[in-house]
Amino acid sequence: MDAVVAFLISIPISPLLSLLFEGIDRKLHARMQKRIGPPVLQPFYDLIKLLGKERIIPATASTRIFEIMPMVSTASSLLGASILLSNILSNSNIVGDLILIIYLLAMSSIALIVGGSASGNPYSAIGFSRKISMMIAYEIPMLIAVISMAFGPSPSLAVSSIIEFQVSRGLPLVASRLSMALAAAAFLLCIPAAASVVPFDIPEAKTEIIYGFLIEYGGPYLALAKVSKSVLNFTLTLLASAIFLYIPSLLGEAALLNLGLSLFLCLIVSLLIMFITITVPRTVLARLKVGQALKFYWVLPLTLSFSSIILSAVNL
Amino acid sequence: MIERGIEKEVEVEYTRLRIHFGPVHPALKEPVSLRVFVKGEEVVDVDIVLGHVHRGIESLAEGRNLAQALYLVERICGICSHSHTTCFTQALEEISGIKPSERALYLRTLIFEMERIHSHLLLLGIMAYEVGFDTLFMFTWHVRERILDLFEKITGNRIHHAMNTIGGVRWDLTPEMVKELDACLGEIEKSIKYIHDAFMDKTVEKRTYGLGVLDHSRAIKLCVVGPTARGSGVNIDVRRDHPYAAYNDMKEVFSVILRKDGDVYARTEVRLLEILESINIIRMVLDRLPEGSIRPEENIFRLMRKIQEGEAVSLVEAPRGELLYFVKTDGKGGLRRLKVRTPTFSNLACLKHVLVGHEIADIPVIVASIDPCLSCTNRVTIINRENGELNVVGMDTLRRRVRKKWMQ
Amino acid sequence: MFRVISRGRIKSPWIFHLNTGSCNGCDIEVVAAFTPRYDLERFGCLLVGSPRHADVLLVTGPVTRQMLPRLIRVYEQIPEPKVVVAVGTCASSGSPFLGSEMIEGPADRIIPVDAYVVGCPPRPEAIVKGVVMAVMSKFR
Repeated sequence: MDAVVAFLISIPISPLLSLLFEGIDRKLHARMQKRIGPPVLQPFYDLIKLLGKERIIPATASTRIFEIMPMVSTASSLLGASILLSNILSNSNIVGDLILIIYLLAMSSIALIVGGSASGNPYSAIGFSRKISMMIAYEIPMLIAVISMAFGPSPSLAVSSIIEFQVSRGLPLVASRLSMALAAAAFLLCIPAAASVVPFDIPEAKTEIIYGFLIEYGGPYLALAKVSKSVLNFTLTLLASAIFLYIPSLLGEAALLNLGLSLFLCLIVSLLIMFITITVPRTVLARLKVGQALKFYWVLPLTLSFSSIILSAVNL
Repeated sequence: MIERGIEKEVEVEYTRLRIHFGPVHPALKEPVSLRVFVKGEEVVDVDIVLGHVHRGIESLAEGRNLAQALYLVERICGICSHSHTTCFTQALEEISGIKPSERALYLRTLIFEMERIHSHLLLLGIMAYEVGFDTLFMFTWHVRERILDLFEKITGNRIHHAMNTIGGVRWDLTPEMVKELDACLGEIEKSIKYIHDAFMDKTVEKRTYGLGVLDHSRAIKLCVVGPTARGSGVNIDVRRDHPYAAYNDMKEVFSVILRKDGDVYARTEVRLLEILESINIIRMVLDRLPEGSIRPEENIFRLMRKIQEGEAVSLVEAPRGELLYFVKTDGKGGLRRLKVRTPTFSNLACLKHVLVGHEIADIPVIVASIDPCLSCTNRVTIINRENGELNVVGMDTLRRRVRKKWMQ
Repeated sequence: MFRVISRGRIKSPWIFHLNTGSCNGCDIEVVAAFTPRYDLERFGCLLVGSPRHADVLLVTGPVTRQMLPRLIRVYEQIPEPKVVVAVGTCASSGSPFLGSEMIEGPADRIIPVDAYVVGCPPRPEAIVKGVVMAVMSKFR
């Protein structure tokens, strides 16, 4: 498929898929709590409702930033998702797009907290500072895990060439080398914090600081923020499934010919990853504090990702 | 050239931020306002502002007759409603000399302990909710529904049981109810063990161990009561120290749970284990339940008018601690003075002490751990009617006013 | 288009719960309505913590004097369109506390109320029904 066409298709598809994923996540969460749970299409209803609501900008807010930042956030996470999706769909080779995607995802989080803290609410100021410390905690191991790709068996930072390598080996990257398995573990451990779900939902803890930076957003702004967050979660899980756990590679060369099928398999894997890294932790764990989360991330995932780099340097 | 004046020195404390924690806050289902001063994430100072739930119940009760007041004091709090009515009727019974039958006393004890189970389960759920453990919250409240079902079967209502009346109780226990109660208790016992395991979970442990420590001597100095005091190793329990209802016969079946640590986890564990003690008491009540009538033949209004002028103090151990009523009747079926001292009122004082030095993230957990019941507490503020302004009246003026009222 | 929006509104009423001096009975039942046996979330309801996110305001309690300005403020903070449900006899009529100087309520003296759920306290089923019916009649 042509790269441009694939990109244009993925722009509308990625938010739809991510909202669907969120609905499945909420349903599973409810079922695990012995509840019936909301319908799977619930995030769509929420979105429609929020878009049709009144816009309120608090008097203490600096209006421009408060208004623009949700859009920036949504745009950057959407862009990241569509680049990733179109790469899987079309096998177009963009050098270094892995870095670009990670950057766009970080950008989307930062835009949201900047906009939120422009509201002038003390709770969003606390949310801002908490999110920044959380980002210091998880971004570093995550980035190192991704960069270890460059030292890995396929020295590349392009999603499509990593996929091609996996297909040529006929194995997902996790299974091919120990160093890559460690990198994948570090990356997966970072997903709950990046998605800010319960053990690490410190920046938007409901019972502590009332959603932190989202507190003053309502109506369409909240809708944008929600979309941005769910696209971000989707992109992270899809990224993990594409670069570490590309299951279609088991099909051999057919995976590259039959791109629709391989995308479908990829999505199923990312659904599984979402279940393990987002739904299960938020069901079975309690919220940590900032200090504890920092300690956790700088001990386990950071060690994992560093040892992955060291191991891949000695070709393990 | 324009001469500039002395540059104004502006001193801004960037590091110190004042946060209004409440009165409207999702962590607290009741309005209390904590003005919290923080430096970064650390709490430096706390101001507790009360009075958001002030409904003037004491003065309302003074204008009503005893039968009406009985239902009014039940509405002081929805969680420990039976404690309030028991305490009130006990005071009235002491003034009038009406002795409830043995069966009535046993039934009162039964509902009392069921209420303790329900209240403690509720709090455990809230604790789980505060630390962000939604599943445990859902599970705990699911268990609690069983107890509420039984309440509904026995008294006809889930929350305000309206069980007590002057000289007895209003509803009797049938043999089927006894059977069902027994089955339910077994289930709850099993679930409590499960909940206990869940509270030992690593992430919960991280949020509750060593937090909000209230040591033994400080607990005595601040006069905390109930599970909060017992979590700090203070050995008080009205059920054992001043037995009321049928607790005199229950002395051998329950023990007072004590923990030495005084942190959030100790308070939570005391509550968890107290549920098991309550189950023991209920089993004993069902075992020994004497036969007999449950209330006097006479109509409550007739009884009410017979109550002579007098005053009495009554004590019960509500789920949250010692509850004290002072009742002064006027001899014509009305009240001259009603004074309620609720357990939360004593416990709130320790809040300022235990919060300082902790993080913002710990505030809801610590506040929940003393199990504040603010609708019980707020009967203090005095409002100036003309200009609507609030002024907290000092002890001296209050005393003077009270004396003036009593002289009349 | 209009039908899509109204369907979205009906399907996702987010609830903000405000205690204006209630005895806790109604508050417990409101929270209990979200627990597994009743599960309000199956209608798309969420208990949100910030009035900016909410569509439905559940008022419990007989509006005490200190909570009066807060009630008005919270009501104004909720973006349009919004629904107000008075839960419990106190919020609907002020019943047990009528005559007290500290009571400014019932709630409909202060803000427009769309639905009343009476009972002391109402059962969670009644609250579920009250919310769903108020939303259905207002947003259709």
